[in-house]
Amino acid sequence: MPAFEQIPEPSNPLGLDGIEFIEFATSQPQAFGALLEHLGFSAVARHRSREVVLYRQGSMNLIVNSHPDALPGLSSPDSVPAIAAIALRARDAGFAYRHSTDRGAWEMPTRASAMELNIPGIHGVGDSLIYFVDRYSDFSIYDVDFVPIPGTAQRPPALAGLHYFGVVQSVLTDRTNDWVDFYRCLLGFSVLPHGKYFGVLPKGTLLESPCHKFYLQLIEPPPGAEEAHWDEGFVRLGLGAPDVHAATRALKVRGLVFVDHGAVQPSDKGALTQVYLGGVTFELVISHLKP
Amino acid sequence: MNLDHFGMDTITLAGPLEAKLTAMRRGGFTQVMLMAPDIAGHPAGERAAVEAVRNSGLRVTGFQVLRDFEGLSGHLHAYKVDVAKAMLEMCHALGSKVLLVCSSTSAHASGDPDLLVRDLQKLSMLALPLNIRIAYEALSWGRFVNQYPQSWEIVEAADRTNLGLTLDSFHILANSTSFDALADIDPCKIFLVQLSDFMWHEVRSPEQRIDTARHYRVFPGEGVHSEQLTKFVQTLDEMGYRGDYSFEVFNDDFKQLPLIFVAERARRSVKWITGRVSRRSLPARRSAGM
Repeated sequence: MPAFEQIPEPSNPLGLDGIEFIEFATSQPQAFGALLEHLGFSAVARHRSREVVLYRQGSMNLIVNSHPDALPGLSSPDSVPAIAAIALRARDAGFAYRHSTDRGAWEMPTRASAMELNIPGIHGVGDSLIYFVDRYSDFSIYDVDFVPIPGTAQRPPALAGLHYFGVVQSVLTDRTNDWVDFYRCLLGFSVLPHGKYFGVLPKGTLLESPCHKFYLQLIEPPPGAEEAHWDEGFVRLGLGAPDVHAATRALKVRGLVFVDHGAVQPSDKGALTQVYLGGVTFELVISHLKP
Repeated sequence: MNLDHFGMDTITLAGPLEAKLTAMRRGGFTQVMLMAPDIAGHPAGERAAVEAVRNSGLRVTGFQVLRDFEGLSGHLHAYKVDVAKAMLEMCHALGSKVLLVCSSTSAHASGDPDLLVRDLQKLSMLALPLNIRIAYEALSWGRFVNQYPQSWEIVEAADRTNLGLTLDSFHILANSTSFDALADIDPCKIFLVQLSDFMWHEVRSPEQRIDTARHYRVFPGEGVHSEQLTKFVQTLDEMGYRGDYSFEVFNDDFKQLPLIFVAERARRSVKWITGRVSRRSLPARRSAGM
């Protein structure tokens, strides 16, 4: 091989491989837990020392952190459940961390992580974190920090094939390109061609993970909206379903309510739940992804 | 173009931060360019300084200045990254959307363009979650980057949304850099323009350039490069630049004169500029992003 040959950087330099877990922070863990159970999740384990519960459904791990110092600066979580962290599966978590911080990511701020296990992470949008997890195939990171809840199945099946599909992030006006730079340069995401959308909320800019296993949707405030009521952060979790109608039917039976009028009524493409607990919604999206 | 497009730098005025802010307001200005020692050196602490700025009602044009950042390696690079992070946090606390970064003068820095690009990309990434834009300036005595066409080459190569240029008339005039290369610059990537003049035609050595820059600048209209300054602003305006102009006037005399006297000189300078530069030309060749 000639020495001068230019080798392009791989399109997935961190070896990302989907979402290991999503962490929500809330001061209403019981109410949020009940909502998650309506969505098909089951509480399977409790943290050994913190107010943190692990929920599962099929391939999805979801952590609810209600510890009083759950947020950066050791502040308490808000009552409205909010996505506090996304844990990404990576080939080598240490490498992913160094790769990101070498390129200008902020290291994880001081906070009580949901996990006492040393999981490297970087600062994400707002107060959120992005963790890198590399022990996901041969070892359960949850065994270190969590105690199984007796009498519960540790691997509850997915309802209607639900799986992680993506996360919606709000950005301030004219900030889309900044955040595209963030996800492209640090994590290897790419922008999908304009006009390619999934689900029932076709707006903003859609980014695909380099492993093609999940998406981020960046949305700016609608024209004329007061920016005072618009902040940057993760706003909604999107769950993929092979058959949206089957999934909405199954979830309605469990008591979940979907927005059923206007442009966002349930369709083959997706569905949006009503607003719960003062500000949390979930989106269903038709998905070709293999959980 | 009117008074709202111009701001004063705190470095021009003597006295405590609150007095400077009051003088600027009394001078009719609506924005202020802040210097880190205004905040770090506030007798009542950093939080009080931030409060004073927020209570002043003045919009923050930008925050200065991160020096000697790019081109370092090893522990020097790590040290400067720490400094940059602290300055970005101050900048964020002040509600400033722009951090001014001067090209490096460090004898320990490399001039390798790839490294300079990488370092500025990293700095831009550090600034990104805080919604801060990095405005890179070619200091006229910068070791490797000392003319704006060089700083533009690096910014263009770095290709980051929140990385752009500061253009400072002093450094351009002091190095007798031609305005021709302004035409190569995308006006959306000019994040800040700093204006000042000085009172002699020639700057004979780098030492004299530094000395003049730090002690003998004057407001536009008060120096000997009025024609070039007018052409500079006119060119930027015609290019479609619609961002802020700030008076970067380091002057020892002004620092021992009543603040309102200096603020009124600054205001006269705005009138001088707007009287000479025709109204903002339409249509803009490219629309500015500010």
